[in-house]
Amino acid sequence: MHKKSLMTCVLLALPGLASAADTQWILDQATLTYHVSHPLHQTEGVSKAAKGKGVCHAGQCDFLIAAPVKSFDSGDSNRDLHMLQATRGAQFPLITLRTRLPEDASAAGTIHADLEIQFAGQTVQYKQVTFQVMTQGTETRISGTIPATLADFKIDPPSLLAMPVKNELPVRVDMTWHPQ
Amino acid sequence: MQQVLARAIAGALPAYEDLAFSPQAQPAPQPGAPSVGDLGFPVDQTQGNPQDQARLNKRSHMLKIHQRLGLITTVPLIATLFTGGLAGGKSTSSTTRDLHATLGSVTAGMYFTTAYFSIFAPRIPGTVSRGPIRLHKTLAWIHGPGMILTPILGAIAFDQKSRGEKVHGIASAHGAVAVVTAAAYGLAIVSVSFKF
Repeated sequence: MHKKSLMTCVLLALPGLASAADTQWILDQATLTYHVSHPLHQTEGVSKAAKGKGVCHAGQCDFLIAAPVKSFDSGDSNRDLHMLQATRGAQFPLITLRTRLPEDASAAGTIHADLEIQFAGQTVQYKQVTFQVMTQGTETRISGTIPATLADFKIDPPSLLAMPVKNELPVRVDMTWHPQ
Repeated sequence: MQQVLARAIAGALPAYEDLAFSPQAQPAPQPGAPSVGDLGFPVDQTQGNPQDQARLNKRSHMLKIHQRLGLITTVPLIATLFTGGLAGGKSTSSTTRDLHATLGSVTAGMYFTTAYFSIFAPRIPGTVSRGPIRLHKTLAWIHGPGMILTPILGAIAFDQKSRGEKVHGIASAHGAVAVVTAAAYGLAIVSVSFKF
């Protein structure tokens, strides 16, 4: 009887122990800003519609952040529609970013992350991208710039007055996470 | 003339509807890693839509032609304005007046061809105009009627001159209407070219 009770207690406790080993991170808010340079003007498009999740196991955390391509707002509806077309955003509506970080990375002031970004039907990897990490209470703020280019994602540079935009497409990332 | 040109250019457009598309494929995540499905996006934000992409492609293509033709149209437009100053005089016929009328006709033809590619570019449902494009579209309500009115007034003025009369009545507004039209047209180009 005593053995049976002990076994039952262990079996009931196991799932709880297993889930306690996995920490999850939830993206509270994110601001993604792309920057495009044209000889006649500079343009920025901002999205605050990103969602993200991180799952930690055995000292490593896998993060996924995604944002709809059409959620970027540059302040000009015509430009946003052209951006959506040029980036094949109706065919590939999401931008996803995956990365794997050590679980203790949130304590560091600076991290270097290997990123895998899927956008415009292409998957591109960026190695050792620098991000600043700042933890306040339960919130961890991560910010940095992804050195993306149009060529990386096989996007034809849009042009205005027969002048194309520059190839560089830096994307500023500003995110706030909290552990669950 | 513009209809023939419009048909010729439209015929050169690729048939985007025929292009093959595949839905957005997500790379296999690491075992235990979060997937897109975990993030809670509505299905319509994660599934690719080939029809929507084809519509966007066709729209962008037509608006590119609109942009190019619009820029090219500025050449005969400026030439028409220049020759307009020399189209007067007392003679019943004048080479400069004929040249001005010809350039005006070319300008009007190219203008309406340009407008065709904007007016008939596919609309994207749910899009509300924001930013400089609003001014660009608003100015069309000035230069559009102006481009209809200017050649009509010009034809009346031409007819009066040919009869040896001084330009009078409504035809005397030809020059003023042309200048306002050209100014609105130039501003429409500038509005989407520079950031204010």
